[in-house]
Formats: sequence, C-alpha cells, structure tokens
Amino acid sequence: MIEKPPLAPSKPFNRDEERKPSLVDAWGAAIASILIPGAGQMLARRIRRGLTILASFVTILGLLAWRMRLTARFDTEVWDIIIKSFRLDPYLLVIAISVLVLYIWSIYDATLLAKDNSKNPIGVFFWIMVVFFMLGWQIGQIDPVRLVTEADEAGPALGRVLWPWSRAITYPETLISGIVEIQSPCTDTPFPAAKPLPEEPWLVADPTCGVPSEQDGSPGTLIHLEGGNFSPDTLVELWWRDPIGNQFRQRAEGEYVSLIPEDDGTFSIEVIFPYRLIPPTAREEAQIWKIEARQVAAVGDPVISQEMTLVIEKMIETIFIGMMATFFGIILSLPLSFFAARNLMSANRITLFFYYLTRTLLNIIRSIEPLIWAIIFVIIVGLGPYAGILALTLHSAAALGKLYSEAIESIDPGPIEAIQATGANWLQMVMYAVVPQVIPPFVSFTIYRWDINIRMSTIIGFVGGGGIGFLLAQWIRLLDYRAAGLAVWFIALTVAILDYVSAEIRARYV
Amino acid sequence: MLQVRNLTKVYDDGTVALKNVSFEVEDGDFLVIIGLSGSGKSTLLRCINRLIDPTEGQILWNGIDLAQLEGEELRNARRQIGMVFQQFNLVRRSTVMTNVLSGRLGYTNTWRSLTGRFSQADMQKARGALQRLGIEDQAHKRADELSGGQQQRVGIARALMQDPKMILADEPVASLDPVLAHSIMQHLEKLNRQDGITVLCSLHYLDLVQRYASRVIGLRDGNLVYQGTKADVLAMTDAQFKEIYGEEAERLGSGLQGEMKTTTGSAT
Repeated sequence: MIEKPPLAPSKPFNRDEERKPSLVDAWGAAIASILIPGAGQMLARRIRRGLTILASFVTILGLLAWRMRLTARFDTEVWDIIIKSFRLDPYLLVIAISVLVLYIWSIYDATLLAKDNSKNPIGVFFWIMVVFFMLGWQIGQIDPVRLVTEADEAGPALGRVLWPWSRAITYPETLISGIVEIQSPCTDTPFPAAKPLPEEPWLVADPTCGVPSEQDGSPGTLIHLEGGNFSPDTLVELWWRDPIGNQFRQRAEGEYVSLIPEDDGTFSIEVIFPYRLIPPTAREEAQIWKIEARQVAAVGDPVISQEMTLVIEKMIETIFIGMMATFFGIILSLPLSFFAARNLMSANRITLFFYYLTRTLLNIIRSIEPLIWAIIFVIIVGLGPYAGILALTLHSAAALGKLYSEAIESIDPGPIEAIQATGANWLQMVMYAVVPQVIPPFVSFTIYRWDINIRMSTIIGFVGGGGIGFLLAQWIRLLDYRAAGLAVWFIALTVAILDYVSAEIRARYV
Repeated sequence: MLQVRNLTKVYDDGTVALKNVSFEVEDGDFLVIIGLSGSGKSTLLRCINRLIDPTEGQILWNGIDLAQLEGEELRNARRQIGMVFQQFNLVRRSTVMTNVLSGRLGYTNTWRSLTGRFSQADMQKARGALQRLGIEDQAHKRADELSGGQQQRVGIARALMQDPKMILADEPVASLDPVLAHSIMQHLEKLNRQDGITVLCSLHYLDLVQRYASRVIGLRDGNLVYQGTKADVLAMTDAQFKEIYGEEAERLGSGLQGEMKTTTGSAT
C-alpha cells in the first residue's frame, strides 16, 4: 500500500497583512533616513526592509572603501586616498556616485513608505543590485577590451596548443664534426695542412699556424677555414680546443660564430685566432690548437618523439586511474547505498541513526573536491597514480552512494509486496522485485560517474595524483605549448571516445 | 474455511484501520468487500496474507491462525494465497514469463531461483496459465509493453502459479475501463467456479458487486457495517448504501445496473 504524505497546507502569501500605520510622517522618515539609511523604513514599521537597506548600505560602503584603499595604497590621508583612487580608477568614481544615488533613493523610499507602508516599491532594491554588480565588475577586474587586444599576442602560443603535431615526431640526430689542427706559434718547418676527405666531414685551415689575439686587443692571425661533407641547411658551430684541452666557442664581434653550409655541404669562413689565457711557459714552444666544426644533423626517418610516448603512456595511466576509481567506488558505495536509503532504514531508531550517519558522511565527503582529496592522499601515499585513485575512489563512493540510495528510495514498492505475497523469502524478494528495478538507474549512474572520473583523472595530476595532468601542468609551466597541446589533444580525444562509448552502453542497457 | 475474529489494526501513526472485524468465508465463496477509500478494505486483505501485521485478533484458515505465523510457516501459508493488485504490481522491466514464474518462488529452492533456473514443469505450468488467460503470445514481451488489461491478466497468471486455495484481489479493476473490468472479473469468476478457489475481492462498482459476488461485506471507517448474501445485495436499498458509503453517496443510473459513485477519489 503506497502511503502518500498529506500535502502540507501551503500558507498563502498575503501582501495585505494587518499593518499598523507608520510611526512618523514623510518628513520624519526622510530625516531618519538621512541620518541612518534604512532608519526611515524601520520607523515606518518596515523593520526587515529597513535592516536590509542598512546592511546593504554598510556592506557597499565597506567594499568601496576597501577598493579605494587598494587603488591608492601609498597614501595615508583619507582625502588623498579618495582623490588619488578616483584619478587612478575613474570607475571607482562612478561607483561612488551610484552609492550616493542609492543613499538618496533610500531616503525617497522611506518617505513613500511613511505615507503608505503597505506599498512595496522595489526600485531601491533594484539599485542595490546594480551597485553590487558594479562593485563585482571592479573587484573581478573585468576588462572585455583586454580579451580582444591580448588575444592577438596569445596567438602563437595558442596556435601551438591547437596544432601541436610537429612535436609528436622527432628525427634521430647525429653529431657531424670536422677537426683541423693549428700550430702556435709558427715554427720554421711549416705545419702540414689537412686535406679534404672524400667521404667524411672535413675541415682545412689556411694558414696552418698563427698566434692568438692578445689581451690588449691586438688581433691574432686571420685563419681561412673551409669545410665539406656537412649536412646542408643545418647550423654549424665552431669550437676551439686550446693546448690544455679546454673547449670554447668561436666568437666574432661578441656573437657566437655559426654558419650554414651550401647545398653541396661545403662552407668557408674566416676567423680570428682568439685570445686565451695560457700559462706563459706554454707560449715558449709551439703548441697544437684545434678547431672543430660541429653540426647536430637529423638523419634517417622520423620517429615518435619522447613527449608523444609520454603522453600515450600517461593517457593509459589516466584511463586506468578513472577505471579503478570507478570500480572501487562502486564496491564501496553499493553497501553504503543500502544504509543511505530511507525506505530500507526507517524501521526503527537504530537503523534511522545509521541512515543519518551514512548520509552525513557521504555529504561531507562529496562536498570536498577530488583535487583536495588528491592533495591529502599525496601527503599520505606520495606522488603518483595511487593517490589519484584513492581521491577519486572516495569521491565516487560518496557520489554513487547518494545516487544509488536515491534509486533504491524511488523504487515502486508494489512489486515488493507482490513478490512477498507469493511466499518468496527475503533474498528472492530482493532478486526479483528490487534488483530489476534498480539495475537501470545503477547502470546509468555508474556510467555517468565513469565519465566524470575519466575527466577528473586528467586533471588530478595537477596536484601530483598521477596521469596526464602532471605532464600537462609541467609543460605549461615550461612554456612548451606544443607538448602541452599534445596532452590536450589526447585528453579531448579520449574523453570524446569514452563519451561515445558510454552513450552507446547507456542506450543499450538502460 | 476462513474465520476472521475480532481483527483490529492500528497503524504506528495511530490511525485505526480496522476495528474488531469478524466474519467468515466458506471455501469456494466469492466474497466482495465494499466500502469507501480508506475504509480498511486494503488493510483487511493485506492482514490475511500478512503483508500487514494485524494488531489484534485471529485469522483462522482451516484451523491455522495466520496472524501468529512467522518465517517459513508464514511463507508456506502465503504461497497458497494468491494476490492480485489494483496497480498490477508487475516487475515492469522483467518479461511476462519471468513475472509469471515469480509466482512459483515460494515453491522453488532459493539458489535455483536466484540464478533464474525454474524447472521444466514450472515453465510448462506458466505457459498453461498464460494460455488460460489468453496472453500466451505476449510471454516474451516486457511487462510494461502490455496494456493495462493484459498486465492484470499477467497478475492473475502469477497468482495462479501459486496453486492457490484462495485469491485476494485488491480492487483488481479500479485502474481499468468497464469493458476490461468485466473481462478480468470473469477470469476471477472462472477460477472461483472451475478451480474452486476462494476469492476475496474488494470492488468499487455496484454493478460488478451485484454481478459477481456470492457474498458481500461492507466496511466503513474500519467497522464491519454490512454482511449479506447475493440475494441481499440484489435487493439492496439506498439506505443500506448510505450506511456503507456515507451520506454523500449517490446512485447513478437506475436499479441493478447502477454504479456507485462517491465524492472521494479512487483508492491510493
């Protein structure tokens, strides 16, 4: 038998309640309101209206003072603060004028009510809302113009996020280098010159000996370098190695020297023998210096980049975080949902106590965001997917527990008594009357939760909970927008695919 | 024989649904219970198969007091008492066949029934029951795909599966239109006449009462206010109606074909 609670008689809202006449006339109310906004309304026996106006007025004035103090933060005198804040942010002046309008309006409102206190003019409340809205605009630093003007500069970064695929592949690189030896200082016997090589990269110098630049600025020997068998269109760096083995890059006019070979892989350049602090004794006899032309060149076919591999690995991890959290969430919430179902727990005071206990617990857990839970679990179990799974599990269990229990509460009691009437026992009753009724909502809620968990698991990594969010946060901070774009693309694709899959499951089983 | 003695039911909120009700039903009777919504008809029927526990009194059925039974004994008694409901109370998402087979749960081993393995004999019996009610072609449809009349027939088939000695029908036709109402009532009458199943049925429409009842009892505010045979019902006067249905009761139509119309709505 379905027991319907009787409808509570709704108390009719009566605008024309018995109201005693105003205590003061229009002038009295105006003067009271000039002294204290809202006081006139209170004297007109509209206590709640007056208190609302007074509270709003005080709040607005407080907020305005705070914003003005913040704008003119280096001034101390009240008058200076007012003048300076209006000058720096004219919008504050607009708000101040609006507050003045509100003040006058509240006085006018008081005179109206003093004449006839059964009226309900809403103008003053409308204006209070307007002033709050203006304050919100100022506090929120809302600036629609900036959205348009700054979007221009964000273009390149956004472009990289939107089309990051060049970062998905990489070319294997190899170091190409040609070395030539230089003798310093020159001796009577000429130092043998290097020869171009047929297959390998080569570098020859002319002359083959010389003197370094001096500390006082007098230039060293001008050396003509020629090279070949380098990779065309790829940067070549020139490095020196002094007689004691230290390496340093060739500079010209303060800049590092680098060059790009011709199409046939050859280049030629003139460089000045650089200055180097060498122990004086080492200058006596001839020493061997070396010049190296270095090139990091891409060779062979492109391969998947390290970032791409990481994204795929972490995406798999992310999906499994969402899956495991959903799974554990279901297991925890199933028993909880029975405790949180009022129709099953209202038998006596003890079960009702457990009902309220479970409900309260579920509500508390649910009201804390999974990201906060993730931070807590990162503290307990450390960084990684396990913390993320724990956080999402807890939140899922609470959310599903509530949804499941509501599904149990809303089942039709008819089939239960029909099955009981056949002489079935409790287990048979649950199996034949309860389960068929709760399966569709359970499946539906579970899929819904799985959707949420996959989405949440993508960002749980922002606080160290494992998954792709960790990479995304890291790359955004490193300004590696292409790599971040890869992660974003994979998140979007995964969520879209799983959305589609869950919609299909829902259509088939619910 | 069913003997109800001094049956009283007081709900937890203090509502007195039945006050000291006593009556007897012979095996094979078609007893119709009449009365306003809230007069205690549903409570009375549910006390008999203990969906509701009576507060006081005895319900002697062939010498056993149903009011005192617990656990296994109660379930064994219940399985011999079929029940048909106003809202049919089918499991809407299960198939017609599953709904009908669930009538056998009281006779089926728990483990077998949890895995849904009913015996061949039960399946045969279910097909027979559906055939008898003329809905054998609906067996594999979902229950909620059927029309109201068909659903009530499934409900009767489910009760029939229990091999009942008695069927309790709680306003079985209140949700159906008059033509279907007769069809359903005829099925119940057939079970009563052919199988000798005792039927206790609560009804709203006077013409149905006069057409099908072999005996009638009337309830008003939980009190038994009327007991009569078929002849008594056919000769019922307006004064007696008002005794049962209250002063606002009106008789629509004329004479025996009349239909009782009351100012309150249908039962919850």
